[in-house]
Amino acid sequence: MAEESFLADEFLRQLMSVGEVDLLVGIPSYNNAATLGQTLQSVEESLRQNFVRERAAILNVDGGSTDDTRQVFEQSADPRGASHKGLTSLRTIHRISCQYDKSPSQGWALRNIVAAADLLRARACAIISPATANVTSSWVANLVRPAYREGLDFVAPLYVRSRFQGLLARDLLYPMTRAVFGQRIRELYADEWGFSGRLASQCLEKDVWHEEAVRARPQAWMAITAIGGGLKCGQYFLGPKGAAPAGTGPDIVEAIRQTVGNFFWCMETNQAYWLSRSNSQPVSTFGPDHELSSDGIPPSPEKIFELFRSGVNGLEPILASILAPDTHAQIKAIALSDPTKFHFAMELWVKTLYEFAASYHHMVLNRDHLVQALVPLYRGKLYSFLLEHANSSGEEMEAQSEILCQEFERQKPYLVERWTAKS
Amino acid sequence: MQDPATPPSIVSKPHQESSVLLSQDENLWYKDAIIYQLHVRTFCDSNADGIGDFRGLTSKLDYLQELGINALWLLPFYPSPLRDDGYDIADYTSVHPSYGSLQDFKDFLAAAHHRRIRVITEMVVNHTSDQHPWFQEARSSRENPKRDWYVWSDTDTRYQGVRIIFIDTEMSNWAWDPISKSYYWHRFFNHQPDLNYDNPAVREAMWEVMKFWLDIGVDGFRLDAVPYLIERDGTSCENLPETHEIIRKFRKRIDEAYPGKMLLAEANQWPADVISYFGNGDEFHMAFHFPLMPRMFMAVKLEDRKPIIEILEQTPQIPETCQWCIFLRNHDELTLEMVTDIERDYMYDEYAVDKAMRINLGIRRRLAPMMENDRRRVELLTGLLLSMPGTPIIYYGDEIGMGDNIYLGDRNGVRTPMQWNGGWNAGFSAADPERLYSPLISNPVYGYQAINVDSQRRSAHSLLSWMKSVIQTRNAFRVFSRGSIEFLNPSNHRVLAYVRKLGDEKVLIVNNLSSSAQAVELNLQMYKRHIPIEMFGRNLFPRIGDLPYLLTLGPYQFYWFRLRRI
Repeated sequence: MAEESFLADEFLRQLMSVGEVDLLVGIPSYNNAATLGQTLQSVEESLRQNFVRERAAILNVDGGSTDDTRQVFEQSADPRGASHKGLTSLRTIHRISCQYDKSPSQGWALRNIVAAADLLRARACAIISPATANVTSSWVANLVRPAYREGLDFVAPLYVRSRFQGLLARDLLYPMTRAVFGQRIRELYADEWGFSGRLASQCLEKDVWHEEAVRARPQAWMAITAIGGGLKCGQYFLGPKGAAPAGTGPDIVEAIRQTVGNFFWCMETNQAYWLSRSNSQPVSTFGPDHELSSDGIPPSPEKIFELFRSGVNGLEPILASILAPDTHAQIKAIALSDPTKFHFAMELWVKTLYEFAASYHHMVLNRDHLVQALVPLYRGKLYSFLLEHANSSGEEMEAQSEILCQEFERQKPYLVERWTAKS
Repeated sequence: MQDPATPPSIVSKPHQESSVLLSQDENLWYKDAIIYQLHVRTFCDSNADGIGDFRGLTSKLDYLQELGINALWLLPFYPSPLRDDGYDIADYTSVHPSYGSLQDFKDFLAAAHHRRIRVITEMVVNHTSDQHPWFQEARSSRENPKRDWYVWSDTDTRYQGVRIIFIDTEMSNWAWDPISKSYYWHRFFNHQPDLNYDNPAVREAMWEVMKFWLDIGVDGFRLDAVPYLIERDGTSCENLPETHEIIRKFRKRIDEAYPGKMLLAEANQWPADVISYFGNGDEFHMAFHFPLMPRMFMAVKLEDRKPIIEILEQTPQIPETCQWCIFLRNHDELTLEMVTDIERDYMYDEYAVDKAMRINLGIRRRLAPMMENDRRRVELLTGLLLSMPGTPIIYYGDEIGMGDNIYLGDRNGVRTPMQWNGGWNAGFSAADPERLYSPLISNPVYGYQAINVDSQRRSAHSLLSWMKSVIQTRNAFRVFSRGSIEFLNPSNHRVLAYVRKLGDEKVLIVNNLSSSAQAVELNLQMYKRHIPIEMFGRNLFPRIGDLPYLLTLGPYQFYWFRLRRI
């Protein structure tokens, strides 16, 4: 039986009224009443200042907020005020909104946004998160412009990071994406990004929206869809990104489930593309391609090592089914080492991840459990990183990160070998 | 043709299905007018000298009556060196010999009134030609009694910072007079010295000029360049209180001695600034709404009603006896002074790609070429003009879709001879073509063989026939000229919809500003149970019920509905 249309009639009615647009800015929300007004103001300001002639719409897709998020979107006043003498952007900047009747999910929100982009024939789109504290009007322009004017199909953000921010991306997601898919995109799991109408249409047609990986973290899937489709990707330096308030982000287990699980799933669904590729290429980058500030306090390493050691012990049978015996043995060995002299070698880390990916592919056990088994090993790597870089400068850490990326690329044949081996 | 000797009667007669047009407020005739703007020189030449004249114009009054207009606005026809198309007047109380005699004008006026057509003339009050005897006397010596009729200075640094209006040609608002060896003030061309309105003798002289024409019978004046009458140090020399005082005095004298005569202000300013020219109903009767005009063009190009709504929302209420004058095109460039830089750039890029189309801060093109000869867009814009609040002005030739010639210099490209037929000189003149004051438009698209009155008269579906029909409809319902306006703001921004209301009379206007078909849902709950009756075909549409009223419109299509509760 055919799937019911996921677009609500009222939403469709709003789209009909808007007609065709050049630019669409999507704002997924869930209980963001406190910050949405400021985000909306930044978006409108950006459109007025940078795209005066373009037809533009701002779309709020809400996941069933129980606060005043929707009212804030619909009723927040135009900050220009009634006494302004003229006359501002040339065109109407539309505000449209919809609410989906599923639990809050980035994937459901994105599906509505790409559907709107497709129906409105938007040429370029951006996703802006109201949870990000310091969205400025330049962010929107910088994410939209490369897709609108430079012919890019996916535009990832680049942020100024403090030394100990984004470690999961730096030690795992970025180097592995780069090695596997061959494109050097640093921030695949950011909450803001841009894309072309063409990519939106392609994504809309994919029958993947019910997949957990896409529902939770659709942005990397979208980027990899672009890469796999031979579309052009790039990244734009946005500046510092305000940290989410403590306790509002996912814990490390959930973060790894969402990101690494998503990434392994993307590897699975795009294997025809990446298995035959080697090396990596830089992508179009606007502004510096990275910036690590020297501030930032390292997280306390206490307990991290203990959680690593207990995880390695407690998950021994599971790790044995995932890892090659030699790899497993090396991990068990370092788990017994003196915490003050602990070192998780780069080569071992890369091999571990590739074996996890291959085991995910061969479904040696429940895939969700498999991904969760990576958590204690990541803690071990994190602990090692903190020991080694407590006093490193941003440049030194970046240099180390580049070496890690090269190691991932060097060992890619091993990944291919494990992946293609008969289970 | 009726006997011209019959005393003029210009009391409007009620249209058959019209709301009642009463004579009791006949003095407010300008509110119900549809004005046709022309230059005598351009319209019809009766004596084969290549220049239009009053006798020629008189011979075409039947055409204008047939078109349905009920007022004429004549560009300056006074003796002049014609270095600014007559806005450089050398004698205020006679007629330029090329256009005929004063008696010819009087005959024309009587014939126009006989057809219930009012006549508005130009009163260029701010400045004269440097050939005017007043200026010749004033410059002859510093002791001459008329010296103080103009604004003189020993330096060119006085009133610094005052903007220059003709930025393409003038470097300063001061010009050196080698005869009296001093500078004189001019806001426009340097051959147009500004009169000194601080001098009571100047004000009295100008009143005498007005009286001269009012005694002959003209129905109103368009006062040219009114914001600039007075100069004061440290100001922009525009819109000064003393200027308003002068206007109020002129108005008072007119009301006392010539009730029913009308004053129209040319003040190219924002509505909030122009509003002061209405005073408390004791200055001008009408003023041009300059900022609305470019925004109508912008809205159609953008396919978005925002520019129109935005400017009308910023337009203040005016006194009950006053009225805005609205227009699409006129004898000047399509002025882009009252737009933002962003809007001006957009207008240039969309409507004047060729630099030759631009002059000063504007675009020297006619309506039809700007619309790329797209009949649907010409009709849509004309429909907007005739259905919005205000007295509409139609520029000669636009009713048949005449083209322009951007290579004629200055703004002469939109002042070419009227195209009456496809024959000799387009029926404009029997002179040799080389003798015409201006070349005819002769290209295959807009040339007189293709675009002319006679050929369009023969077709019931021509632009001219459509214009007659839409003007007739507008004239039949006073709600258009005097009614209030309420915007409906449907969610489809490409549709501009509004209701005009006057007493029990209600008209719904729905315009599709876009090049594609549109559906629109209108909230007409206030008019529940009313029946929309399409005003051109008089067809009934479904009665308004509880649901939003759904309409579909083709590209650039518009509807005018009477809303009747029967």
